[in-house]
Amino acid sequence: MNRREFLQYSSLIPLAGMMPNAFAAGQTPGQIVLLVELKGGNDGLNTLIPFRDDNYHRARPKLRVKNGIPLKDNMAMNPYLKQLLPLWKEGNMAWVQGVGYNKPSRSHFHSIDVWETASTRNDEQRGWLSRVLPAQQNSLNGIVLGDNNLGPMGGENGSAVAMEDPKTFLRQTKYLNKKQFKTSNPSLAHMLNVQNQINTAAQELGRVYRGRRSLVRFPTSRFGRKLELITQMIVNGMNTPVYKVSLEGFDTHAAQVDQHNNLMNHLGGGLRAFSDAMKKAGMWDKVLIMTYSEFGRRVAENNSAGTDHGAAAPQLIMGGRVRGGMYGKQPSLAADKLYDGDLVHNVDFRELYATLAQRWWRRPNPWGNQHRPLPFV
Amino acid sequence: MGRLSFSDTRHLVARTALGQEWNGVKALEGKSRGEAVQILLKPAPLKTPPLPALTPWAKVNRMSQQSGLGRKRARKMMKVEGERLKRWWMKHLLYTDTPINEHMTLFWANHFTSSLEKVEQPRLMYLQNQLLRKNAIGNYRILLHAIAKDPAMLVYLDGNENVKGSPNENFARELLELFTLGRGHYTEADIKAAAVAFTGWGTDRNRGSYVFDNEKHDSKRVTFMGRTGTFSGDQIIDIILEKPRVAEHIAEKFWKEFVSDSHPDPRIIRNWGAVFRKSNYNIKTLLTEVLNSESFWSDKHKGTLTKSPIDLLVGTLRSLPFPKLPAGELVHISQLLGQDLFDPPTVKGWSGGKTWIDTQTLLVRTSLMNKLTRHSSASAKVQSYLPKSSGEEVVKWLLPIAPVLPLPTTPGKRRMVRALMLDPVYQLK
Repeated sequence: MNRREFLQYSSLIPLAGMMPNAFAAGQTPGQIVLLVELKGGNDGLNTLIPFRDDNYHRARPKLRVKNGIPLKDNMAMNPYLKQLLPLWKEGNMAWVQGVGYNKPSRSHFHSIDVWETASTRNDEQRGWLSRVLPAQQNSLNGIVLGDNNLGPMGGENGSAVAMEDPKTFLRQTKYLNKKQFKTSNPSLAHMLNVQNQINTAAQELGRVYRGRRSLVRFPTSRFGRKLELITQMIVNGMNTPVYKVSLEGFDTHAAQVDQHNNLMNHLGGGLRAFSDAMKKAGMWDKVLIMTYSEFGRRVAENNSAGTDHGAAAPQLIMGGRVRGGMYGKQPSLAADKLYDGDLVHNVDFRELYATLAQRWWRRPNPWGNQHRPLPFV
Repeated sequence: MGRLSFSDTRHLVARTALGQEWNGVKALEGKSRGEAVQILLKPAPLKTPPLPALTPWAKVNRMSQQSGLGRKRARKMMKVEGERLKRWWMKHLLYTDTPINEHMTLFWANHFTSSLEKVEQPRLMYLQNQLLRKNAIGNYRILLHAIAKDPAMLVYLDGNENVKGSPNENFARELLELFTLGRGHYTEADIKAAAVAFTGWGTDRNRGSYVFDNEKHDSKRVTFMGRTGTFSGDQIIDIILEKPRVAEHIAEKFWKEFVSDSHPDPRIIRNWGAVFRKSNYNIKTLLTEVLNSESFWSDKHKGTLTKSPIDLLVGTLRSLPFPKLPAGELVHISQLLGQDLFDPPTVKGWSGGKTWIDTQTLLVRTSLMNKLTRHSSASAKVQSYLPKSSGEEVVKWLLPIAPVLPLPTTPGKRRMVRALMLDPVYQLK
C-alpha cells in the first residue's frame, strides 16, 4: 500500500467552516523556478558531450554519441535534445559543466540527500530552498508534482506541498480540518499554519483546474503532462515561486543507449513545450529552469553496455533572462585526472543555489562564506 | 503540594509512557507527585518478544564474498530481515508492559543514532537496540562506554575504518558533538586527538562483536582537552565525562523531550545537570528530578509538545480499544508519518517537536485518525470497551488542553471519541 492508497481509503469528515483566505489569488510572482530532478543519476558525458576528446571515445566504445549537436568549442549536445537547440541559439540556454561536491557519495539515497539539503555531512534535515526563501504564513513557496517527497523544500519552514497529482491531492485534503481557530500555543499555531497552507493549495488548485489552458501542445508522456499542469498553474496566476518535477529512469546500468536517448527526448520535448507556453503567456522572462541529479556516471562504460554511479556532471539552466553559454570547466577525462574512475567537479553544486538565491531572487546567500554565485543570470 | 488530579496524572503518563492507558492514569489519581513518579519509575523486568529470525553476520559475509550474485542476494535478505526487525520493535512498542522503558529506549535510539540504511545488518541493529533497552533508565556512563564498543555503532560511524595512519574522525566528532558535549565545547584538535585514541576499535566480522586490534592502534601522544598523553578510547570518554557540560547537554535533551520545545532557563539546566552528575550519571535520578520539577507541571507547558508518530500511532492503539492494525501496516504508516524505526533521517536523529508536522505528515495524520474512527462493523464493538465515565472526563483523558473545535451536540461515546481525535489538540501532549 502506498501513501496515496492509504489516504484514499480514509473516510470523509463533514466539510464545514471557511477556507483561509490570506492569499491574494492571481498574483504571479516575478521570479519562478522550475526544478527538474533527473532521477537515478544522469549520464552527463552523454548529455553534454566532449566529442573531440579521444579519452571519451576510448572510454565509451559502445555508448559514445557520434552525432551530437556541436554547441561550442569541444562540446556537443545529445541529438535527442534537438528541440532545445532554438533556445541555445536565442542565448537562453546555459550549461554549467562539472558540477558536484567533495568526497562524492555513490549512493542514490545519500547523494540526493546531499543535493537537496545542501549538506555533505548528513546533519541537515531542511531542504536548501527552505534556507533561501522566507517562511510563509498560510501561503506557499513551492509545489512538488509527481512525488510525495518535499525534497529541497522540506523542513519546518519549507512552506511547500507535494502531490502525486492535483486530483489526488484535492481528494486527500477533503478530510483536513478547514475551520480556523485562535491559539497562543506555538505548536498549535504551527499546525494551523500548515493546515492553512494545504487548504490554500487545494483552493488554488481547484481554481487553476477550472482556469484556462495553454494552447501549446505538450508531449503526452507523464513528464509532459506534469509540465502542462505546472504551466496551467503559472498562467492562471498561482502565487508560488518554486515548482519541482522529476523525470525518472536515469539509473542506466545496462543497455543504456536507447533508454538514455529516450529520456533525453522526453526532457527536450517537455522543456521545449514548457518554454513555448511561457513565451506565449509572456512569462518566459519570469521563469528559470534548472536540472539536478544525484550524480553523473562513471567515465568508462561497464560490461553491460551501461554505466555505473559516478560523480560530477553538467546541469542545464534555461529561461528568458538566462545568459546562455558554457559555465564552469569540463572536467578532464585523462586517466590521471579521474578520481576512482569518476570526473572531478570544478563547480560545487551550492554555487548554483547561491546564484538562484542572490542573482535570481535577490535573497541572502546562505552559503556566502564558501560558495559564490555564477553569472548565468 | 497537593494530590494529583485526573488531568495531572494524565499529563504525567502521556509524556512518559506510550499513550495514556485509562487504568494507568486512574491508578495514580490522588497520589502526590513524588509518589506517582516513584511508582512510574519502579524497575520492572524487561520482557521482549522472541528474537525475530535474523541471519548471523558471518553467514551474510560468506554469501556476499562468494560472488556478485551472492552479494545481491545478501542485500535483499538484509532488506527483508530489516523489515522484520522493524515489525518486531513496532509490536513490542504496542504490547510492552514497560512503556516508559520503551519510551526511553526510543529516546536513546534518537541520541545514539544508527541506521539500518548504513549498517545494513539487522542483527547488529537488534543488539544495539537491546543495549539501549537494558540501559534506558540505567546509567549513562555505562551506556556511553558500551555504545562506543557497539558493533552497529562501529559500522555506522566508521569506527571500523579508524586505523593507525589513516584516522577516520566520524565517531570522535559525533561523540563530542552529539553524544556528550554539544557544539562549541570542544575544538577540531580535540576531535583529531580522540580519533587517534579510538584507532584499532573494530568489529569482528564473523562474530559480529567488538574487537580491539593492537596492530591498528596508534599509541602516539596527543593532547585532548588540555591533557597530553597516550590515551585509550575509554580514557577519552572518562575525560569527557568530567566536564559538567555533558550532564547539562543531556538535561537540555530531557527538557525538550519531557517539558517543552522552548529554550530552557539556563539555571534549571545547570541545576538538573548538577543532580545528574552528582548521581554519577544515573538516568533515573535525572528523570525523577525532571518529573518532579515545577517546569514539568507548569500549565504553561501543558499540551505544547507535538506527539511523535509513535506517540500518535502506538499511543492511540494502546489507549483506545480500536482493532490493532497488522505490524507491517503500522511500520508503513510510521514511515509515512516521518518516523521510520531503525532508520532516522540523519545522524542527529529526528528533529522532532514542531517539525513532526509538515504538509505531508499532517495529511497522513488526519487520514489515520479518520480511518481509525470511521464507522465499520469492527469499530461498532469499540463503544462497549470505552471506559465508563462522564463525557467531561473523556475529554480530559484524550486531550491535554481544551479542544479548539466544537464538540458534537448529539450524544454518543464513539462520536465523542472521534471528534476528540480529529481535534488538532489531539496531536499534542
